Amino acid sequence: MKNIFTIIKKEFSRFFKDKRMVITVLLPGLLIFAVYSLMGTVFSGMESVDENYKPKAYIVAAPQNLEETFSSILEITEKPSLEEAKKAVTEGELDIVVVFPSDFSQTIGTATPPDVKIFYNSAERNSVYGYTFVTAVLGQINTSAFTVNAASDKFDLATGRDITGNLMSTIMPMLMFALLASGCIAVAPESIAGEKERGTMATMLITPIRRVELALGKIISLTCFALLSGISSFLGVILSLPKLMGGMVGAEAAAFYSVGDYFMVLAIIISVVLVIISAFSVVSAYAKSVKEAGSLISPLMILVIVLGMATMFFAGNVPHVAIYIVPLLGSGLAMSSIMSFSVNPLGFALSIISNLVITAAFVVLLAFMFKSEKIMFKK
Amino acid sequence: MTEILKVENLKKSFNLSRKQQKLEKTYQKVKVAVNDLTFSAYKGEIFGLLGPNGAGKTTTLRMLATLIKPDGGNAFIDGKSIINEENEVRRKIGFLTSELKLEDFFTPNYLFGFFSELYGVDKTTAAQRRQVLFSKFGIDKFAEVKFGNLSTGMKQKVSLVISIVHDPELIIFDEPTNGLDVLTAKVVTDFLEELRAEGKTIILSTHIFSLVEKLCDRVGIIINGQLIALDTLENLTKEKNLEDTFFELYEKTTGDRI
Ligand SMILES: Nc1ncnc2c1ncn2[C@@H]1O[C@H](COP(=O)(O)OP(=O)(O)OP(=O)(O)O)[C@@H](O)[C@H]1O
Ligand SMILES: [Mg+2]
Repeated sequence: MKNIFTIIKKEFSRFFKDKRMVITVLLPGLLIFAVYSLMGTVFSGMESVDENYKPKAYIVAAPQNLEETFSSILEITEKPSLEEAKKAVTEGELDIVVVFPSDFSQTIGTATPPDVKIFYNSAERNSVYGYTFVTAVLGQINTSAFTVNAASDKFDLATGRDITGNLMSTIMPMLMFALLASGCIAVAPESIAGEKERGTMATMLITPIRRVELALGKIISLTCFALLSGISSFLGVILSLPKLMGGMVGAEAAAFYSVGDYFMVLAIIISVVLVIISAFSVVSAYAKSVKEAGSLISPLMILVIVLGMATMFFAGNVPHVAIYIVPLLGSGLAMSSIMSFSVNPLGFALSIISNLVITAAFVVLLAFMFKSEKIMFKK
Repeated sequence: MTEILKVENLKKSFNLSRKQQKLEKTYQKVKVAVNDLTFSAYKGEIFGLLGPNGAGKTTTLRMLATLIKPDGGNAFIDGKSIINEENEVRRKIGFLTSELKLEDFFTPNYLFGFFSELYGVDKTTAAQRRQVLFSKFGIDKFAEVKFGNLSTGMKQKVSLVISIVHDPELIIFDEPTNGLDVLTAKVVTDFLEELRAEGKTIILSTHIFSLVEKLCDRVGIIINGQLIALDTLENLTKEKNLEDTFFELYEKTTGDRI
């Protein structure tokens, strides 16, 4: 039994003597904290604007004692008919429709309490906000005296297309970034640090091949391998969509998007893979071994995933088009906007261009590293 | 005599990291690995750089092969400078060391084609050369076997052949027989003699006296980065054998008794 302790002691002293190992283990937490704190600061400003927002509502037969409250918290909007109003909610132009039964005042508190109907659109942020808001207000009145949405009507007026768009735009960037990054980490260290470690890189470096050609050749082929896994992941997500949405939409989900949408997503995926692969390649060229490359890349990997997650915070509201220039984050936002059918063409183009520029810079850096004896032949 | 290689006052120092300082048991931050080296090699000869561990042999050969840059001096291979005509130099030399490896996954045929392309050898020339070299070294039968599955001797032959796909004038070989068994070592020495017979120039480094005696026409003895003797094998071994000559020079230079 004593030997367990001996082993543990040895492991601990080994672990804490290796500064890099300690850093690699602690870095992810630090990174997430740093990025999220930063995001929090950026978004605290945006959220407060939202609180002053008055949801646009169409109200049928509001009881007199509630009329005043409603008009102070909601922007009461007139529509020709209930049907028109519901259509406006579906289209996102109106936030909610509240329908009080005509006998509300008579039946309130009786054995057959009245049922208030609130129609909303789950794919619209403002609509969901309005729905929660009104429900909360009604909840402050005697709740056992009446019910809300107890009937079996379809209260969520979002279309399958909207729900799909909403879900996909939220999960796609993070999911894709995570999948793409793991595709990249599977190929880059092996191909670059591996060749360096095994001595086959040096065999190429004594030939007259231009270092930039070697760098480009590596990055292009690695991008293709990582893309294979990227595209298959994307198709996997799209095709599993009907299951994912639990029957809310059928097999037609994939058809909500046009061929153009798919090409744009493909372009984004390619440009993202280029950035990740070239960044991972630079780190791999610096590392002495595949193992070292792996441990140096893992914080980068987390950064990529965190940037993917960060797009969720924006929920479709990009304060300024320049944000699309931020590498990877911009791509995530562009992907998100395509998935929610609200693509910003300039933003899309900016995200692609910025990724290509960064890739080019990494390629030049990689070629420079291939030239550097300190990096390629360090003792 | 045509001068193929001309080395002029070649110098190289390394900045030592803490770890290296410990390893080298020194407090100095800079290690002078090659100190003002000057020599030439001529067409059709085997030139040996003989020296103990850490003498600067590998560093010298790596500079000649353009893998690392000298801090001072220059060297010319067939008139091309290793400093600013790197790619011309790379086309003119074949470089071999046990540190350069070939990928296990590929066959000799594939590797030959791959490196021919990197060296810019045209397809027909490459095909002809492959046939000649493969049959000369008995690689034909193994041309489609993955490198990783070959015997050590066959691997060595393939590496040798791959290093000369572009028919270089000068072959640079760091420690040619290091770590090889007698049979494989013979493959290498035969190969070098064969190349010399074809009129190629070879420069090799070693710390093995017998190898120098067997192969070299001229020898440079290198200690602490400096060339302390340079002569034909004949002249160096006129009075005593190479070993005694070397140790005498070593004691004189370093002041150490062995
Ligand atoms: N990249 C490097 N960084 C620091 N020091 C180095 C580096 N390369 C070589 N040296 C040092 O330079 C000196 C010469 O090394 P070199 O490898 O050229 O010697 P060598 O003659 O080839 O020896 P060996 O017989 O051990 O191969 C040694 O002291 C070595 O430690
Ligand atoms: Mg050496």
